[in-house]
Amino acid sequence: MPFTNGGGGIDLNTILSILFWAVFILYFLTDLPQKTQFMRYERGVAARLMLVETIVRESINKVKSYLGKLGIKESDNVINNVLDNYFVIEPVSIEPTDIIKRLDHMIVNNEDKFKKDLERFMPGLSRHTLNNIAVSLAIASALFTIFKVLRHYYLLGKKYENWVLLMQLYLLLPQLVKELIPYTKAIDGVFKGIPIGDSVGPMVTFKLAGLSPRIDIEEDTVYSLVNIEGRNVYIVKAKGPGATVGRPGKGVAKIAEMLSYKVARIITIDAALKLEGEQTGTIAEGSGAAIGDPGPEKIEIERVAVKCGAPLDAVIIKMGVDEAIKPMSKEIADSIDKAYQRILDIIKTRTKPGDNLIVAGIGNSVGVY
Amino acid sequence: MYMQIDNNFITIILIVFFSAILIYLIRSGLGYITRKNKSELQDQPFKTVTIVSCINKDYTLEREFREGDFIGKIEGLCPKCNSNIVIEKIYVVPIQIKETKEKK
Repeated sequence: MPFTNGGGGIDLNTILSILFWAVFILYFLTDLPQKTQFMRYERGVAARLMLVETIVRESINKVKSYLGKLGIKESDNVINNVLDNYFVIEPVSIEPTDIIKRLDHMIVNNEDKFKKDLERFMPGLSRHTLNNIAVSLAIASALFTIFKVLRHYYLLGKKYENWVLLMQLYLLLPQLVKELIPYTKAIDGVFKGIPIGDSVGPMVTFKLAGLSPRIDIEEDTVYSLVNIEGRNVYIVKAKGPGATVGRPGKGVAKIAEMLSYKVARIITIDAALKLEGEQTGTIAEGSGAAIGDPGPEKIEIERVAVKCGAPLDAVIIKMGVDEAIKPMSKEIADSIDKAYQRILDIIKTRTKPGDNLIVAGIGNSVGVY
Repeated sequence: MYMQIDNNFITIILIVFFSAILIYLIRSGLGYITRKNKSELQDQPFKTVTIVSCINKDYTLEREFREGDFIGKIEGLCPKCNSNIVIEKIYVVPIQIKETKEKK
C-alpha cells in the first residue's frame, strides 16, 4: 500500500526522526526526566500519605467509638490530649553512669502521668478497662506520630524540590503502609479483650500457673507459686486480663530478693520477630533475657541472674511483626503447648527437686488471667 | 514521493517503539487514577474462637468468642467430672467467603 505525504510536505520518516531527536535532546540535555520523576514521586507519596492518614483517622475513630460506648463524653478532649503529648526524651548518654536508672525514671514517670491523667478524665473505670484504653490510645498516638514524621519529610522534599528525599519516601511507603495496617486491627482486639500475638508469654505462664492465686508484686505485675515435681516455681506475668505488659523485670528482682537470691534458674518466654522465610510459631531456645523493652526491665533480669549465679534461659515463639500485634492466630495459639512442654523439660532436666525457679512470661496480658 | 511501509524496516521499528511508549504512558497514567488505595485497608474477615476445657482435660468445647471472655475465666462445671471448666485458648480463624454471582 503506498504512503503519500500529499506532495510538498514531509514524509513519515522525517517526522519520526524529528520526534526521536526531540526525545533524545529532552531526555539527555534537559532536566525534564528529573522533573517528571519528581512529579511522579510527589504524586505517589501524596497518594500513600493519604492512605496513612486514613489509617490514623480509622484508629482514632475506633478509640472514639469505644470511649463513647463506655459513656465518656469528653472523648475528643481525651484523644487530642494524648495524640501530641507524653513523649519521653532519652537521658544524656555521653555520661553513661546510671543511664538505666535515669531512663527507667523517665519511662515510669511518663506512664504514671499518662494513667493518672486518664483516671482524671475517666473516673470510676476498672483497672483492666483503663489499661485497654491506655494501650489503644498509645497505638493511635504512635500511628499519628508516624504520619506526622512522614508528612514532614514529604513537605520538606516538596519545598526544596529534593527528589532524592521523595524517592526514598516513595520506595519506603508501600512497606510502611503494610506494617501500619495491623495496628488499626490491633485496636479491635484490645477493646474486645482478645489475646494478641505478643500475649504468648503470659499464655504459656497461664498454662504453668493455672488458676493458682495471683499475688501483686509490682505495678500491673503478679506472681503465682506452683510446685512442679518438687521445685518451687515462681511465675511472673503482667496482671491480666487487661492490656498491659507490666514490669516483669522488677517483679523478678523482687522475688529474687524475697528468696534471698537463692534461685537456681530463671526462664523467660516471649514472642520474637521471625525472619522472612521462617515459619510462624517456631519455638527456639537460647540464653539471656527474652524481653524487648527499652532496657530497664531487661537489665533487672540480667542483674538478678548474675547476683543469684543462676542460668538464664530464653524461650521464644517466632512470629511476624503484624502477627505480634494482631489478635492471636490458631497457628500461634497451637505453638503455646509446645513452648509449655519445652519449659517443663527445662524445669525437669536442668533443676533439682527443692530448687527455687523463676519463670517470667513476657508480653501483653490482654485477655489472659 | 512514495514510501512503502512494508519495505521500510526502520519505520516499523520506530512506530512499534513509539506505540509501546504511548501504551505504557496511558497504562501508567490510568494506574494512578484507578488505583484503589482503600482496598489495602480491607483485611480478610475472621471469627474469634474460644476453647473451653475441663481442668482434668476430659472435656473440651469450641464456641464463638463472647465479649468478656478471657483465658482463665471459669465457665462452669464439667458435665463429666464436675470439675471447673476454664477458657484455655482464644484465637482467630479466617473466614472463607465464597463469591457467587446472582443472575437477575
